Amino acid sequence: MSALIELDGITKILKGQQEPRTILSGVDLQVHEGHSMAIVGRSGSGKSTLLSILGLFDRPDEGRYLLAGQDITRLPERKAAKLRSSHFGFVFQRFFLLKHLTAAQNVSMALVNGQGWLPRRDRRARVLEALDRVGIAHLAKNRPARMSGGEQQRVAIARALVRNPRILLADEPTGALDTETGTAVIEALLGATTRGCALVLVTHDRDHAARMDRTLDLVDGVLTARVPS
Amino acid sequence: MRRFSGRFRSALIIGVQGIRARKLRTLLSMVSLFLGVLAVVVVQTGASVAQRALLSDIELTSGIDGTAVLDFNSTPESAAVVLDTLKKRPQATGTVALSAIIGEPGVQAINPGGSPFDQNWGPTQVCTPDGTCTVSNEPPGQAIELQLTALTSDVRQFRPFRPQSGNWLDFSTVPALAPRLVLNREAAKGFTEHRVPAEMRLRGATTNMTPQLIGVVDDGDSAPHAYVRMDELAAWLPPAGLADPAVGGYVQILMPANDPVQQVLVSKLQAINASPMITTINSKKDQESQLKMLRLIFLAMAGLVLLIGVAGILNVGLATVGERVEEFALRRAVGTPRALLAGIVLAETLLTGLLTAAAAIGVSALGLKAASMLLGSQTPFLQNVQFPWDAGVAGIIAGLAAGVLGGFIPALRAAGIPIATVMRA
Repeated sequence: MSALIELDGITKILKGQQEPRTILSGVDLQVHEGHSMAIVGRSGSGKSTLLSILGLFDRPDEGRYLLAGQDITRLPERKAAKLRSSHFGFVFQRFFLLKHLTAAQNVSMALVNGQGWLPRRDRRARVLEALDRVGIAHLAKNRPARMSGGEQQRVAIARALVRNPRILLADEPTGALDTETGTAVIEALLGATTRGCALVLVTHDRDHAARMDRTLDLVDGVLTARVPS
Repeated sequence: MRRFSGRFRSALIIGVQGIRARKLRTLLSMVSLFLGVLAVVVVQTGASVAQRALLSDIELTSGIDGTAVLDFNSTPESAAVVLDTLKKRPQATGTVALSAIIGEPGVQAINPGGSPFDQNWGPTQVCTPDGTCTVSNEPPGQAIELQLTALTSDVRQFRPFRPQSGNWLDFSTVPALAPRLVLNREAAKGFTEHRVPAEMRLRGATTNMTPQLIGVVDDGDSAPHAYVRMDELAAWLPPAGLADPAVGGYVQILMPANDPVQQVLVSKLQAINASPMITTINSKKDQESQLKMLRLIFLAMAGLVLLIGVAGILNVGLATVGERVEEFALRRAVGTPRALLAGIVLAETLLTGLLTAAAAIGVSALGLKAASMLLGSQTPFLQNVQFPWDAGVAGIIAGLAAGVLGGFIPALRAAGIPIATVMRA
């Protein structure tokens, strides 16, 4: 099976005021459709940087990034934005919900992004479907302030899923949640893989990582396969 | 085009959401901008109303734009040619200006020389054709001196007098033996304040007449003035004698520019060596050039006030973008292009500018209406004055310009927010 994403020798060097620091060093990675993957590692090991490169937020200094066989390593920002909209869904540790919008409006944000135009009725249908997929369609009209942390993270997952992405990138999505709620959120994320969406999860939680198809360990910018314990 | 439409709608939806989420901030931006836009609208309104007022006064005295005025050396022959030519051509109006005294015979008028009643132009001088003038030594009495203009047809097609009371001259009826006069406001004031006998004397007339006063108009003249049908006056004053300089007559013809009667008249007058001169009224252009500089000065001052408002929007815009870093980074993460992020910020400032413009236009229109209601009776140019559309357009342009200027730098900032740094924080 050909990989949906293929990273080949990705290197990222942080150039600040001090000495340049290598964050990622020759990372090779393949992500397949419908598969889930966990990336674990200590703080500062480069997990989030790797996710930023995967999500086209950032560019590698060296190496090659192939998406569905196309080299997108040096993609212009305009095309990167289009790909983010059509191929990727993002879930962050902090939910990044806009407090002045309802749950439905927050989800709708991913549809009102200047990449094509959906009539209001179609938008509403897709938003409700996404909220229903994570089990909170009844909270569509609630604002974030009236929702629990778990519910807010589900809204964020619905926002990531509403465009039916091919890759879901989750950066510590359970970091701000209790164990029980975190487990429910992981369930919701794994639910997306049943529809063929690839999931890349960055986490500190060994239990959540163990539920993925594959776990990779990032140590000082170098990616290694973790042997299940 | 479809992509543009999608982005435009997206920017508008998100812009409206942003404004609704920050109502107080939007209100404060509007307050800072309001005075600037209001100043622009008021200057434009004032200039338009002033121009219209000046223009309407000029139209009363000189004629509406596009009126051709034919002047020539008035002689009994040329006057006879003119009156004969215009007899069946009501589209052109011949006017003969004369001096008349109404009241007691053999006395000096209350307003010697036909002066306004609150002015004194000194005693009347009587001049003979050889140029010798002597001061009248008649005793003061109950008589009013005024300028009498005899008309061949309705002059209001060229000089739109404002009716005040009574009727205007009816040119479709049989001429009356007692000439019917329409007074201007100053003459009406004199006849209201002074009781004078109804006896009118004109130099050169066969006898004194008994006039009928049938109406009052505003003709823009500050001196007493009356209008009469030429054919009614002709019964008492020979038409050829009307234009005799020794009698004081002065002939002028008003007609639409390029009317065929113009060519006929010019040919006939040239045939008797009367050398006519034609000018076309273009008051609006003359007025505009006079008001242009004044308007520019006031608009420059209004522009300065507007700039202060722009600085207010800019300040609030920068603060708002600073607060919304996460929102903009998130929007970029879900695929919103940088251009649309800039568009969202610009949409918000443009909507703020438009709302402010609407408020300023509303306040100006209401203010003008209030001024018209309260001061209209004392100030004629404020009567039934309408809010000028060009002031509304100026307000909208000022609001939009302020929105663009105030939102430009915040829009650039919003478009440049890096996703990775914000989302990792």
